[in-house]
Amino acid sequence: MAKRTWLMALLAGASVLTGLGTASTPKAYAADDGGTMTISDAQFLWTCGFSPFNPSSNFLSVGLVYEPLMFVNTLQDAKVSPWLASAYQWSAGNTVLTFTLQKGVKWTDGQPFTAADVVFTFNMLKKFPALDLNTVWSALSTVTASGDDTVVFTFKSAAVPFFYYVADQVGIVAEHVWGKVKDPTTYLDGTPVGTGPYTISHCTPQDVSYARNPQYWQPGLPKIAKIEYPAFTSNPPANELLATGQAQWGGQFIPNLKAEYLSKSKDNHYWFPPVVNVAVFINQTVPLLQNVAVRQAMAFGIDRARVAMIGEYGYELPANQAGIVTPTFATWLDKAQLTKAGYAYDPKKAIAILEKAGFKRGDDGTFASPDGKPLAFTIINQSAYTDWVAALQVMAQQLKAVGIKLTIQNLAGSDYNARLFNGNFDLAYAYESGGPTPYYEFRQWLYSAGSAAIGQAASTNWERYSNKATDALIDSYAASTDPKAQYDIMSKLQNVMLQDVPLIPVTEQADWDEYSTAQFTGWPTPEDPYAQPLGGYTFPDWGVIMLHLHEK
Amino acid sequence: MRYILRRVGFFIVTLWAAMTVNFFLPRLMPGDPAIAMMARFHGRLSGQALQAMEAAFGVNTKASLLDQYVTYLGNSLTGNFGRSLTFFPEQVSTVVFGALPWTLCLVGVTTVIAFLLGTLIGMMGAWGRGGWFDSILPPVFIVLSAFPYFWIAMVAILVFSVTLGWLPLGFGYTNGSTAAFNWHFLGDVLKHAILPGITIVITSIGGWILTMRNNMIMTMAEDYVRMARAKGLSPARIMFDYAGRNAILPNLSGFGMSLGFVVSGAILVEYVFSYPGVGYMMLQAVLNEDYPLMQTLFLFITVAVLVAVLVVDGVTVLLDPRTRTGS
Repeated sequence: MAKRTWLMALLAGASVLTGLGTASTPKAYAADDGGTMTISDAQFLWTCGFSPFNPSSNFLSVGLVYEPLMFVNTLQDAKVSPWLASAYQWSAGNTVLTFTLQKGVKWTDGQPFTAADVVFTFNMLKKFPALDLNTVWSALSTVTASGDDTVVFTFKSAAVPFFYYVADQVGIVAEHVWGKVKDPTTYLDGTPVGTGPYTISHCTPQDVSYARNPQYWQPGLPKIAKIEYPAFTSNPPANELLATGQAQWGGQFIPNLKAEYLSKSKDNHYWFPPVVNVAVFINQTVPLLQNVAVRQAMAFGIDRARVAMIGEYGYELPANQAGIVTPTFATWLDKAQLTKAGYAYDPKKAIAILEKAGFKRGDDGTFASPDGKPLAFTIINQSAYTDWVAALQVMAQQLKAVGIKLTIQNLAGSDYNARLFNGNFDLAYAYESGGPTPYYEFRQWLYSAGSAAIGQAASTNWERYSNKATDALIDSYAASTDPKAQYDIMSKLQNVMLQDVPLIPVTEQADWDEYSTAQFTGWPTPEDPYAQPLGGYTFPDWGVIMLHLHEK
Repeated sequence: MRYILRRVGFFIVTLWAAMTVNFFLPRLMPGDPAIAMMARFHGRLSGQALQAMEAAFGVNTKASLLDQYVTYLGNSLTGNFGRSLTFFPEQVSTVVFGALPWTLCLVGVTTVIAFLLGTLIGMMGAWGRGGWFDSILPPVFIVLSAFPYFWIAMVAILVFSVTLGWLPLGFGYTNGSTAAFNWHFLGDVLKHAILPGITIVITSIGGWILTMRNNMIMTMAEDYVRMARAKGLSPARIMFDYAGRNAILPNLSGFGMSLGFVVSGAILVEYVFSYPGVGYMMLQAVLNEDYPLMQTLFLFITVAVLVAVLVVDGVTVLLDPRTRTGS
């Protein structure tokens, strides 16, 4: 008898508990004056650490809590605007970079921000290379202060491209806080003291809350009082939060965007400005692929527009063989040269190139080299990227039509990365990181010093392209701030892409960005691309956007 | 006493074996943490900085496997699990203990509910075999448990969160609220647990019903049940104290096992509902080659299952006099 009552009591208890939950509806949290922005993009659970030098969470703090010296806008031809520094100047043959700092900037604990903080930050990167995420000390020789508001960076040699890393990518921290930290590489920085427009008001693995910094040095900014950045573990709930208007800003892929997002409200918008290419990386050490005719034939045999349409739902634009992402970097594109090379989709030309190079078509339609080796290659791909899986299927059909057999290997992330970095592939579908001008992506693609032998992990240049003349071109870019000279170098690098075909850009990687104008306005648009959108991922850009946004 | 000692000895040997597997299994996976780290930087980091970072992260793949194994055993026994690579620079123990309460409450409570409800339904179904109760509930739940969890959860979200708007579509609590032990927050947590909780219960209840119903039918044919009827005992008492008590024994060991697995969380549940629990941590750990986190989680699961089995052994001894006299 006793046992039964125990069992029943438990059951009854359970139902009471569930009943309680429905009865007490939690009230919506009242938004302060200025409103609360909720960002919804797929992420993993948060580590409540905000160190600007921790690569897995620095996008949460750089731009909002910690500020860089200057802002370099990728979408406006690397246009530079002041931030913690009001001006900069190159001198001594582009080896000395001088910043003039803003006056009256204070840390959130009330202490003044000075040149000593900037010098301390950079010297800490030197002392702890694990913090130096962009390896600025490979080029720097000294960082010194002159007075309270001037900082002088001296480089080992001309280092123009490093401006972006030094000025835009490093969040400046306070000497009086970080000076006391024994090991900054393992420092969590849970309650950051910054100069930025926001402070961390609350953080759990599920959600980061930001609150406006009331003493922010730019008067009247920021206009939005709070930011909620919940952590999603999968896309569907993140998409739902956006579609139902509970979140106003998203940065994730939404299948069938029109029906699932745009149609839900007239205030819902999207903008996917591309900044890098998704490309077929061609392993330069595979004998058959060392034949430039094969590489060129593949470039002619891929219908990029169709791949973009079917694989990427038309949200990604087709790329061009010159490797310049348009329209973002259209001013850098050497159109005459691209037109002359004529890499439009042309299967007949692809076949002609192969035949001219002595390849013969076998019974199954696949070309084979004169010594009988068939043009059959495997391409490695990220199985998690379903759009890429679809894109490659389209590509395989197209290449089959020109007598090249493509076997797709969709691999899990870790396996894919290991094979990509170690050069253990024929072809690889991948993308490199970019920068504020196309130069950065080209350097990642083609600079031989970034590569490694097959079997050793290469941080860049996975296709193992090596050409002394190209390396010299890439080095020479560092010496000049003259736009004309830079354009000429980039034009020659485009020529390398067109003649040598070390890789085949196929589509332009879209940065998913969805936003609602129901509550907030001032978003970046194609007409006013003042910063790169993409939810919260692009730092410090999303800090710039938060400074532009305001309630209706 | 000898029985207990034997069980404890078995516990220790199994634990060692499991820890060893824990250590070697992740290392057999393709890729390594250094590569995973490189992937995260997407080519921005050059060799020297990467090496410095590897040292900071403790990703030293140069040390011999044996050295790593000995260090790992020592660290595990002293509770020093190191730093997580995914949630760097957080300590693994902080990460795990932050997620564990959520999982224990949600999955633990629902496992108990599913077990109790399933056992009760199975018992009553068998009691009134062929009746309306028996022909509706058990088949419905057994069919439901055959559905993929993912699908049921998605449909539940679509209906109750998106269309009707009754319940939140994910998370452990409302974003922006401060965790505190007050009614408001607890109510909030409960509200967020309803949908994941109910979906777990309805998909896992079928198994309990099935085994309980079958066991019950067997015991109902036993002589002692006939005897109890002949004595004129109330049907409820026969059902619970005679047939039920005997029929529940096999289910109990299964229940012990599943209690052990509560610690591993419900990966799918936590994934679909963005629930901040251990299951999702495990997924992240595997995806990021986060050896310290992975090893710690697997260790927790192993220990929990072994302890649960040990406890169930003890409980069976108490419930079933035959195990006592048998040895």
